[in-house]
Amino acid sequence: MPSRRFDQARPFATLAIVVLVWLLLPVAVKSFLRVSFFEFEAPLEVSASYARDLQEYWGLRLHSNTDLIAAGRDMARLHAAYDNNIQQNAELRGQIERLESLLRLPSFPEYRSEPARVVRRDFSAWWQRVVIRKGKNFGIVEGSPVVFTGGVAGRVSEVRATTAIVELVSSPNVRLAAVVEGDTRPMSYQGGINPSFAPPKGNVEFMPLDIFATRTAPRRLVTSGLGGVFPPGLTIGYVVSADPSTDGLFKTGEVELDSRLSSLTEVTVLVPLEAN
Amino acid sequence: MSRASASHADRSGNLVETHTFFQPRVFFFYLVVLALLLTLAGGLAYQQLFKTDIYHEAERVQNQRRILVPGPRGNLYDREGRLLVGNRPRFAVVLYLDELRTEFRKQYIQIRKNYREANDKDMPSARQMERIARTTVVQRYLDQVNRAIGRTAHVDTTDLMRHFSSEMLLPYTLIDDLSPEEYAHLIEHLPVRSPLQVYASSTRAYPYKAAAAHVLGFVSTTVDLEAADLPGNDLTTFKMKGTVGKDGIERQFDNILQGQAGGTIFRVDPAGYRINPPLEKRLPVQGKNLTLSIDIDLQQAAEEGLLDLIGAAVAIDVNTGEILALASLPNYDLNDFTPRLSFAKAQQIAESGAWTNRAIYGVYPPGSTFKILTAIAGLRSGILTPASVYDTDGSFTVGRRVFRDHGGCVTGEIDFRLAIEQSVNTYFYYYGLQIGAETLAAESRRFHLHEQTGIELPNESRRMIVPDAAWKKKVKQESWYPGDTANFSIGQGDLQITPLQMACFMASVARGQTQTKPTLIHDPKRPKQNSEPIGLPADQYQALIEGMERVVTKGTARRFGAVEGLRIAGKTGTAQRERWKDGKRLGMLELAWYACFAPIEKPEIAIAVIVEGDTPDESYAGGAYAAPVARAILQKWLEKKQRPAAAPKEPIFKPVLSQ
Repeated sequence: MPSRRFDQARPFATLAIVVLVWLLLPVAVKSFLRVSFFEFEAPLEVSASYARDLQEYWGLRLHSNTDLIAAGRDMARLHAAYDNNIQQNAELRGQIERLESLLRLPSFPEYRSEPARVVRRDFSAWWQRVVIRKGKNFGIVEGSPVVFTGGVAGRVSEVRATTAIVELVSSPNVRLAAVVEGDTRPMSYQGGINPSFAPPKGNVEFMPLDIFATRTAPRRLVTSGLGGVFPPGLTIGYVVSADPSTDGLFKTGEVELDSRLSSLTEVTVLVPLEAN
Repeated sequence: MSRASASHADRSGNLVETHTFFQPRVFFFYLVVLALLLTLAGGLAYQQLFKTDIYHEAERVQNQRRILVPGPRGNLYDREGRLLVGNRPRFAVVLYLDELRTEFRKQYIQIRKNYREANDKDMPSARQMERIARTTVVQRYLDQVNRAIGRTAHVDTTDLMRHFSSEMLLPYTLIDDLSPEEYAHLIEHLPVRSPLQVYASSTRAYPYKAAAAHVLGFVSTTVDLEAADLPGNDLTTFKMKGTVGKDGIERQFDNILQGQAGGTIFRVDPAGYRINPPLEKRLPVQGKNLTLSIDIDLQQAAEEGLLDLIGAAVAIDVNTGEILALASLPNYDLNDFTPRLSFAKAQQIAESGAWTNRAIYGVYPPGSTFKILTAIAGLRSGILTPASVYDTDGSFTVGRRVFRDHGGCVTGEIDFRLAIEQSVNTYFYYYGLQIGAETLAAESRRFHLHEQTGIELPNESRRMIVPDAAWKKKVKQESWYPGDTANFSIGQGDLQITPLQMACFMASVARGQTQTKPTLIHDPKRPKQNSEPIGLPADQYQALIEGMERVVTKGTARRFGAVEGLRIAGKTGTAQRERWKDGKRLGMLELAWYACFAPIEKPEIAIAVIVEGDTPDESYAGGAYAAPVARAILQKWLEKKQRPAAAPKEPIFKPVLSQ
């Protein structure tokens, strides 16, 4: 009879023992185990990502030659446009450098672009993250800004050997110094509590009282460049409401973010050059 | 029964007392025990049932703490909705100490371990180690901030310990008044869930710097906060620093401008650290805004006119009594008062004499500007008429004393209008003696020159003097002489009034009345002032105004008082005051006066200006020194009148993040 009772309690006893052992383990061992777990997990995620890419590739192979020729033509046009933009950018960069040296202005930190595929999305009300397919192996460093075609995507929060975790701009754990386009006064942007599948939103605090924004007349919120992490002028989202706080000092506002944030497949990590 | 069990029975019989029959003595003890038990039960019931509320209250007071946060003060606007005083956000990086409990403990253990391992004989006491641990942890966080914004700040241990002992629930300020760049940098570099946070508070900001400094006043810090709708008055309360008005409008209307404090009630653990979430929370609410009657354009014109001079200027709306400008120079930049006035600045202000609001606190003999009142008194008493003439040789003898005209340039037959135009003293000596001191004093009182105007500012002088025989006897224990009357009739001697009173007097004359109650609060629907009529027939009043107009067109203010396109009625004045220093008489200081109103056809603005001479025995004629200040105000006034301002904008203050 007692042995039968013990058999019934065995899972609980095992759990208790495991928990006890975990609690008693030194912090260094626990950290090592955690990192190892993620590092072992990473190849699986990366493989799944490659498999998805392959699947996509075979999906595209099903298109007719006419479609592919048309797509190739579009791509050639796009390339030509980008080539033109690159030349213009180079010219503008030269002008900026000349002005900076003439006016003795400090240069903004420079970045190296590192495009990366998204291998996994991890969304909840408490965090909004994506795992990207590049990590220490590509020189990505923690805290680097991450952008996508819609503007700011987020910030690298953790770097592993072959992957990195990006905390999205819609996450409540991301805060950055922003300005309303055309204004120079910095305010604080922070991601909001975003339930899964809901359009991503954020909040802006310390907004000067003379800035007005409504859903019908939204204001573009961009990075200020003053925080030293993000370069200036990147779109964060659009301020769609601005309500004065009761203390009369500032306004607080709601920011609508790019809906493509929830379906990111490709991002670019801006790795500060000084970090390498 | 075995031997062993018999032995047990014997022992048990010895050890356990059994009662097989009733014993009265034992019953008595039963009663005692029962009574004691009942007493205990009663006591317990009493404590639990009747004193529950008291214990509950004691537990509440012991375990809860209240934090009060001041509400920002209301803004001050000028009559056209331009912000005169607002609130500037002030960013600081603060550390929430109650979130560092574990770190403090770990650091303490580490320090103790290090000392033990080093086998140090001079091992500090537990309290000292606690102090070291706290400073080390806080400095570690401060270093994070230093690295982020490139500073080299250090923790002030004494200040930190004081904070721990008296304000532990309040965030500890590491670096105050961050620049926009520093603030932006910290926002991006501090983790969202860090005990380090950027904290925003408000501080007074003055976009027009020193303009209207004496009117607006300043504030100082206070912890005397009350949150009306937040319960827990009996709880231990921590108060963030707020502000209280100390001078000017800030002080006079402190109850209106003062924001409503917000607050939070927390439960705390036995060590005094807060337990989240808060039990109660109220957000602070900004105080009410005030719109002043001041027109900042006129105010600035007055102050620019008085630049590098010592004096005051008051411009008043003739019809409503609203003060359009009230300047007193030297003044001070109100931004120097935030966050606090430095000792050096305070000393500088004191040495320059800028603390005094000369417009309402300075009392001066009005000099020849008083001749307007003498003329009114003469006309009303019938001694003077517009046709009254006096033949003067430039001097007038009273008893054995010879009074001379100032400058002595006008001689011959002088009529009423010319006497005003050229400010002929001998004319007013002659008629002043006939009018008499009592009549002059009564007329002065009729125009309320003997009392405060009641303007909404603290420290309006009560030292104004309208002398008469009774006053002189009482105060100086001297008799009244005809020479006193002669002096009185030209605004000299013991007569003393403030520039504000002179402006009100001028406004009253302009309206044909005797009293103007000034106000600093703008009300677009304010009714016209209405007081006792001046009591002059139309022709006499007309003659008086003509004389005053000639002052500006041909007389003593013709060079510096006239404004093209504006008919002005004015009167200059020059008075003297003895200057003493360390008991030694240095000489006579001259006081330059000018009072006027305009336009004559429909008076709207009245002005009084005084300029104090700063060098003994140096000439400061009213026409040369005071009239240009009034002219500058009138020019600005006319310019605005001819080019009306755009519709008032919504009064919005652009917070300036850095000065």
